[in-house]
Amino acid sequence: MLKKYLLIYFECIKISVSTAITYRLNFLLDNFIMIVSNILFPLVTLLIYGSGAEFPGWSLYEVLLIQAVFTMSTAVANIFFNGLLWATMHHVIDGSLEIVLIKPVDCLFYLIASTVDFSSTSLLIGGIIMFAVALSHVGAVTALMVLQFIVLFLAGVCVMMGISLIMAATSFKWVGNSRLPEIFNSIKYFGRYPQNIFPKAISAFTSFIIPVAMIGYFPAAALLGEADVTAFAIILPCLAFTAAGVLLFRHMVHLYEGVGG
Amino acid sequence: MMNFVLKKLKVIWAVALVTYKEWSAYRTHAMVSIFVGPVYFIVQYFIWSAVYSGKTSLNGLELSEMLKYFGVTTLIGYLTMDFADWNLQMLVRTGKFLTFAIRPIHHRFFALSQKIGHRVLGLLFEFLPCLFIFTFVFRVNLRPANYGWAVISVILAFFMNLYMNYLIGMTAFWLVQASGVRSVYLLLQSVFSGGLVPLVFFPEALQKVLLFLPFQYVSYVPAMVFIGRYTLGNISLPIPQIVGLQALAVLITALVNELVYRLSMKRFTGVGA
Repeated sequence: MLKKYLLIYFECIKISVSTAITYRLNFLLDNFIMIVSNILFPLVTLLIYGSGAEFPGWSLYEVLLIQAVFTMSTAVANIFFNGLLWATMHHVIDGSLEIVLIKPVDCLFYLIASTVDFSSTSLLIGGIIMFAVALSHVGAVTALMVLQFIVLFLAGVCVMMGISLIMAATSFKWVGNSRLPEIFNSIKYFGRYPQNIFPKAISAFTSFIIPVAMIGYFPAAALLGEADVTAFAIILPCLAFTAAGVLLFRHMVHLYEGVGG
Repeated sequence: MMNFVLKKLKVIWAVALVTYKEWSAYRTHAMVSIFVGPVYFIVQYFIWSAVYSGKTSLNGLELSEMLKYFGVTTLIGYLTMDFADWNLQMLVRTGKFLTFAIRPIHHRFFALSQKIGHRVLGLLFEFLPCLFIFTFVFRVNLRPANYGWAVISVILAFFMNLYMNYLIGMTAFWLVQASGVRSVYLLLQSVFSGGLVPLVFFPEALQKVLLFLPFQYVSYVPAMVFIGRYTLGNISLPIPQIVGLQALAVLITALVNELVYRLSMKRFTGVGA
């Protein structure tokens, strides 16, 4: 069973790579646009520090570290599961989800596997470079900190996945709304900055309800040696959030009705 | 003359009304802004409150002016938002532009009328609710320094955005698939119009360059007119002068637009869309 799914997944990756190779120019352009449009938000931080101001208690490279982690998480999400929303939306509009449902594999797995898209590779590389530069300016990092970072980063990727699933599930009811990502992007925006600039009520929301602080802030804090018990306790709401996304998506598939596209 | 104007107004009314009705079906899509706009504003509020701690002014702007700036640019965006570029490019690529080429009205005039209808929807479902939230919930002072100049500047920004986007859309006559050009332009516009951060935050050399580019007239200029003073690249201008300059920029863009339109009409070919 697992072997079958792995085989399908690798086949999907192969197809995605061949598509990218076939439409090379388009692939390169997509990559270019992806990276350029994402370097905007560290730009604001650079301009703030460039004009002699700062986030109290945070050096430029510490803030950039948070934003680099956020960028890497975004790239991973874009490559591996953000295609889910557009695929689901497309199938709901066309009424063609049956074609996926009658396949002898899990519907959610198939939709995620078949939309793997490497257009964000450049963004991932850009994120890693920014991460390396920021990291080299923030002081010594121990092996334990790296381990903590990896665990928290993966929890952040889970939050990204939960958001993707909730958006896809919403597109069953709110048909064809291409502005859906804007709603969640605006919430994700909270995760890009040091959490101590927000009042307690907001940081409680971004830690426990929709844990976007886990996308950039907490993993970066681990590398700065500031990850405490709370940071690890928040892994739980992150997993719960992803699970809620899976359940919601499955529920919406269950409600789906179609008459053969 | 009077007949000519009346006829034009009739066209605007008809096209705007139909566009309004068409897009009313998707009004909940526009209403996404009622959530997104205030949420972004909240984040900006805390970012800048933290950045200003212990400072009264940054690059000549006080915190209250900074918040006003972000509130105003968001609201002006709802009034001037435009997709003439996307629309025109789609018409050219699919060949549907043919049906406009043979109509007895200029397509740009049609696009303007469409935009008016579409933005009336934006006024009702994006601008007014967000104005209400910004003013009564967040208590931001959004009153312009001078109502007359602010209104003129926003109207000019409305036209500037249309003419610039239409110009970008017209690249499709040469490139057919112009989505790359559009993405690059949108990106430049989002940074250099001042939507991200007031342009005075950029390095001075870049500010000097921006003085001569069209981007600032879409967002930065009207926002600064609201605040009541204008500075860019160490050059400060009184409000009437910068609005005059904005009008001149709109006029030049309109002329370039017409010139490129005439050139494109010589290039355009189509068979039965």
